Amino acid sequence: MLRIEGLTITAGTAPLVEGLGVDLPEGQLCCLIGPSGCGKTSVIKWLAGILPPGLGAQGRVTRDGAPMARPDPALAYQPQADALFPWLTVAENAGLGLEIAGRSRRAARAAVAPLFAPFGLAGTEDLFPGQLSGGMRQRAAFLRTIVQDSRYVLLDEPFSALDAVTRLRMQDWLCARLAETPRGVLMVTHDLHESTQMADRILVMSARPGRIVADIPLTTPRAARSEAALAETRMTLKSLLLED
Amino acid sequence: MSLVHRIAPALFCAALLLLGWEVYCTRAGVSPLVLPPPSGVLRALQVERAEILRHAQSTLTVAALGFILSVSFAFLTSVALYFTPLLRRGLMPLLVASQTVPLVALAPLMILWFGFGLLPKVLLVILVTFFPILVSLLSGYRAAPRPFTELLTAMGAGRLSVFRRGILPAARPSFFAGLRISATYAIVATIFAEYAGARSGIGIYILTAKNTFRADLVLAGVVVSACLTLMLLGTLAGIDRLTARRFREAPHAAH
Repeated sequence: MLRIEGLTITAGTAPLVEGLGVDLPEGQLCCLIGPSGCGKTSVIKWLAGILPPGLGAQGRVTRDGAPMARPDPALAYQPQADALFPWLTVAENAGLGLEIAGRSRRAARAAVAPLFAPFGLAGTEDLFPGQLSGGMRQRAAFLRTIVQDSRYVLLDEPFSALDAVTRLRMQDWLCARLAETPRGVLMVTHDLHESTQMADRILVMSARPGRIVADIPLTTPRAARSEAALAETRMTLKSLLLED
Repeated sequence: MSLVHRIAPALFCAALLLLGWEVYCTRAGVSPLVLPPPSGVLRALQVERAEILRHAQSTLTVAALGFILSVSFAFLTSVALYFTPLLRRGLMPLLVASQTVPLVALAPLMILWFGFGLLPKVLLVILVTFFPILVSLLSGYRAAPRPFTELLTAMGAGRLSVFRRGILPAARPSFFAGLRISATYAIVATIFAEYAGARSGIGIYILTAKNTFRADLVLAGVVVSACLTLMLLGTLAGIDRLTARRFREAPHAAH
């Protein structure tokens, strides 16, 4: 269990996020949704230990009750852009987190190699990111995130750069991949459809200063989430987001 | 695009220019003492080739040595300045000011202080080429996409590792741009230093030719200096190609 308590983020003197608290159990996919500028990305970055200079933060994170310093290998972060390094091959990109965690280049490559086929990237190991399509780049970025031995994954709008069709396909695909090795996921999004399709639970943030205004569990199994079944939840979310 | 396709327009323009020059010299009856035609310059090059080659070698040695030292020095300085903002704030104004010192004033002083040997000329080349490389490296470091450095930090990389894995490779295109600018200065700076006093080199060759009113030899020296600069640029382009298949295949874009 990852617990965030009393998180306040300020830009200068203006509060960006105020008194935010979240419990994130392992194995749960939790979407953080809110209007743009409400500080969603700042929350994720703070958790990842990379809050931009110029922002101040107060708050604490505990994992299973113990205070947690960050960056921490238990948290794998994936930025909004795929951030694949153009000068590294796809395999080197995928193994980057492992290399930084202290493994040799060869060991990192051996660890990522068996994942290329299930990630739909077979044969791309020695290509460069510039040679891949948008969807493949995003899968390579997911591979880089998932292969790190983390217990929690922080995703910042992972599908925002994709076209609508690729996005739908990747959402299902990511849910399937995450189900293979369950871990806690905190995913920032501003897409109602995406959150209701993927999440076990949706946290709604208010406009700036951001705080959690609703915590909505989704109990319907993913396979049974038809448009009709989700209609009510979407209405609720819509009214919450449009409130102010 | 093939090499021929790429250089054909440049060759065509150069040929047109030389042709115009040649025709002008013969038709207008200009004295070759004032403006020798290209054919005259070519003849001078041919007749004097042994002598010119000796001077060119000397110039190239100084320029290359100065350039290599300058690149190493600029790289070390850029790393030091990157990691110590205080040093950057302290030194950058001095470095900028150093660029305003006119070469005309400095070259004779260098000769005065360090004699007619290699040292004053190499120092002058370093002084002229150092700054563009340093500035391009520093601006390359700043241009590293933020998501790259953030990702590395979140993965647990330390400052040095972030620099080595993210910032340094991202600075590569701007580093090579700086190298190209500096390479064009390197030969000119060497010739200037030689002009102020030397035993051999294209600079002293041009000076002697000027003093004996041999415009054709002066121009021959100019041609050689241009060739030396092109040679240096060609070497850089070759190094760029050879060292980094990966940097060319992947257009550097911060998506």
